[in-house]
Amino acid sequence: MKKEEFKNQEYKYGFTTEIENFKAPKGLSEETIRFISKIKKEPQWMLEWRLKAFNRLKILKEPNWQKPKYPEIDYQNLYYYSAPKSMKNKPKSLDEVDPKLIETYKKLGIPLNEQKRLSGVAVDAVFDSVSVATTFKGELDKKGIIFCPISEAIQKHPELVKKYLGSVIPISDHYFATLNSAVFTDGSFVYIPPNTRCPMELSTYFRINASGTGQFERTLIIADKGSYVSYLEGCTAPMRDENQLHAANVELVALDDAEIKYSTVQNWYPGDKDGIGGIYNFVTKRGACRGKNSKISWTQVETGSAITWKYPSCILQGDNSVGEFYSIAITNNHQKADTGTKMIHLGKNTKSKIISKGISAGQADNTYRGLVDIGAKASNSRNYTQCDSLLMGNKCGAHTVPYIKNKNSSSTIEHEATTSKINEDQLFYCNQRGLNQEEAVSLIVNGFCKEVLQQLPMEFAVEAQKLVSISLEGSVG
Amino acid sequence: MEQLFNIDFKKISSSSEKEALKRKKNFELFLKTGLPNKKDESWKFSDLNFIINKNFNQITNNDDFKFDKKIEFVNDFDHNHIILINGVLKSCDIKFEEKGKVTIESLNSLESFSNQSSNNLHNLNQALSLGGFNLEIQKDYKCKKPVIIYNYFTSNLDNKIINNSNQIKLNQNSGLILIEYNISEKCKFLKNTFEKINLSEGSELKTFIIQKTNSNGFFYKNISGTQDYNSSYQNFLFSSGLKFNKIDIDLDLEKENASCYILAGLILGREEHQEINTRINHMAPNCKSYQKIKNVLESDSKGVYQGKIFVKDIAQKTDAYQLSKALILDDKAEFNAKPELEIYADDVKCSHGSTSGSIDEDAIHYLMTRGIELPMARKLLINGFINEIFENIPEEKLKTFLEKNIKEQVNGI
Repeated sequence: MKKEEFKNQEYKYGFTTEIENFKAPKGLSEETIRFISKIKKEPQWMLEWRLKAFNRLKILKEPNWQKPKYPEIDYQNLYYYSAPKSMKNKPKSLDEVDPKLIETYKKLGIPLNEQKRLSGVAVDAVFDSVSVATTFKGELDKKGIIFCPISEAIQKHPELVKKYLGSVIPISDHYFATLNSAVFTDGSFVYIPPNTRCPMELSTYFRINASGTGQFERTLIIADKGSYVSYLEGCTAPMRDENQLHAANVELVALDDAEIKYSTVQNWYPGDKDGIGGIYNFVTKRGACRGKNSKISWTQVETGSAITWKYPSCILQGDNSVGEFYSIAITNNHQKADTGTKMIHLGKNTKSKIISKGISAGQADNTYRGLVDIGAKASNSRNYTQCDSLLMGNKCGAHTVPYIKNKNSSSTIEHEATTSKINEDQLFYCNQRGLNQEEAVSLIVNGFCKEVLQQLPMEFAVEAQKLVSISLEGSVG
Repeated sequence: MEQLFNIDFKKISSSSEKEALKRKKNFELFLKTGLPNKKDESWKFSDLNFIINKNFNQITNNDDFKFDKKIEFVNDFDHNHIILINGVLKSCDIKFEEKGKVTIESLNSLESFSNQSSNNLHNLNQALSLGGFNLEIQKDYKCKKPVIIYNYFTSNLDNKIINNSNQIKLNQNSGLILIEYNISEKCKFLKNTFEKINLSEGSELKTFIIQKTNSNGFFYKNISGTQDYNSSYQNFLFSSGLKFNKIDIDLDLEKENASCYILAGLILGREEHQEINTRINHMAPNCKSYQKIKNVLESDSKGVYQGKIFVKDIAQKTDAYQLSKALILDDKAEFNAKPELEIYADDVKCSHGSTSGSIDEDAIHYLMTRGIELPMARKLLINGFINEIFENIPEEKLKTFLEKNIKEQVNGI
């Protein structure tokens, strides 16, 4: 097998699509922001909003408290907007979309063609800085569900965007969130009207293709009273020996009795065996349970990226609201993950549950960092946290940094964490029954992750299970 | 900071010119960054700068050691004793031990403390420390009776700062039980103590920290220790009743089969703030560490536990355990915890747990159905919660003495 082919086996989404790009001028400046805003045909208020964030960014400093350190990012040497040339004038139907793009998504296993679709998944495909296509729009329209690229929502539903954009992640938040607010390009917008159950899974597929670019996507999901939506997110990028920045903001808003289920399978290019290349995944995800009895559930499978740094959080404002966080983070070779969640209990009788599974192999570092904060007014609240780490070899590290705050005598917080290696007896048992070492490890790891994998929607669960095995290939023996 | 600290260096006697110079240099270093505040990760939940500024207008150093009160010895069991007045060694009596096996003297050089880099309070201590005691146990000698350190304070300490440093060294296969018994006056002062512990191969040290009376003092204690092969260190903390107290424990388990236990049973009342901060470094294989921190929080008290277990890549077969439990009895009370693991070796057993909440309603219900009234039922359960710590003390007389002390505190709730 040729070296190239072998490489592709390790990370099968590492190909590049040769396509002509249309880019913004290099560098971060007011012009770039005006350029993005103009090309997206945004209204004046949106531009002002971006500029406000940009002004704020000037006085902010990059955070440096997180465990994974990275070389300084030259923000002036990045492209903040890159789109396939054929997308300059937005195609009206799939037939007008560049066949090369469709081919790319086919290769990734993402059906843009509704006839050949996977059953019951509507997809919004984002390629670099633009949304390529959104499927099943018609069917969703009938129910009054809005599922479209956020750039389209800014034009068509300004009242909703104005009301909710930045209401969970304010533009004055930390450095990367503010950077995103200033230069975000595309992402998905979802609005579920009251008392509606979204009939299918909504999904966004993010693809970074162009080199020297950063991807800044922005997703906003609003579940109105009594509604339900399940949303999936997937992502891949080509193999390059440069580090690319991905700084996304995701905001969720759940009103009274609404429920949002947000699942991520993150498979950005993790860099090669020696830690060269890979995506810096610095993402801000936050959900607000605004209404009574609302629920937000985050599920994530983190296998890719050179550095992952994200904390999907829940702000439990409404009484009786529920926040959940299920996470698997797998790091191999030189990957570094610093991930966890924040559960901020403000309303009465709020509940949260955190299940985090970290697996480190090779020379990787895996950190769970979380906050559980029960406020003085959040009486009768409960939290349960469990974070387990699995280590393979003594060159990798597993760390747990939980912050636990309880300001209330009627609330209960429970936290548990363990760190161990794969049980020798279990391995021996599997070997005895004819599984080789790698199969055995994969089986045991899958069992270790089961609690989280179960939370994923069917279509994703199968894929995620395979991903777990592939990510650990070569880490045993 | 300079306005807050009005320090007269003439009151501090230095052994040499060099030392005097060093003190001044350390004080300047301290002034540069000031007292630790919440931006400092290990002071995140206890903003000392804020607390001190709120309670003090000016702090001066103390040079008055006149003490004429009667010392009330514990008469529950036989013991040797050391008497410290305002942190400085006054007298000692080791009548139960063989001659020449136990040496206790004033600490006159801060040399061995100088290379420690922890927080800025260390600089302050280096600048102003008036010494303390230096305790050493000879090789193969196991002390027959415990040693009680009577920590007395004079009554004129308002707005003063006390800095002292102690050193404890146990040579090969020696053993000691040490009880720190604090008796404070009602005045408002600041105490900054640094203690160094050195445990040689096979030695065993067991320390207890007990507070006899409530105090308006603000205490900081930093314990740092190193442990050799097969050494064992146990520390029991019962230091309730203080306005502010923070104990930092930093232990290096440097050689194989070293073990350490840290257990705490704290009952915090009105306007009390207490933090236990531990860092256990597993630097060698087969070491064991065990921590159990229990807090009972009433009124508007604030309890904090920050613990870190660090396991170096070569420290295989490490067994580390960490548990913090808090009973929150009042809505104004607060408990914060940060139990942290940093692990680089794979063949280890490390776990931690942390819970906080109120008394189990079902248990109260059960007791009440059996005719026990609510206040009594609560007391029983609180007592039971704390009592678990005592199960780890095999010395009967000592245990009874400690239980008696704690019971008084529980009855106060």
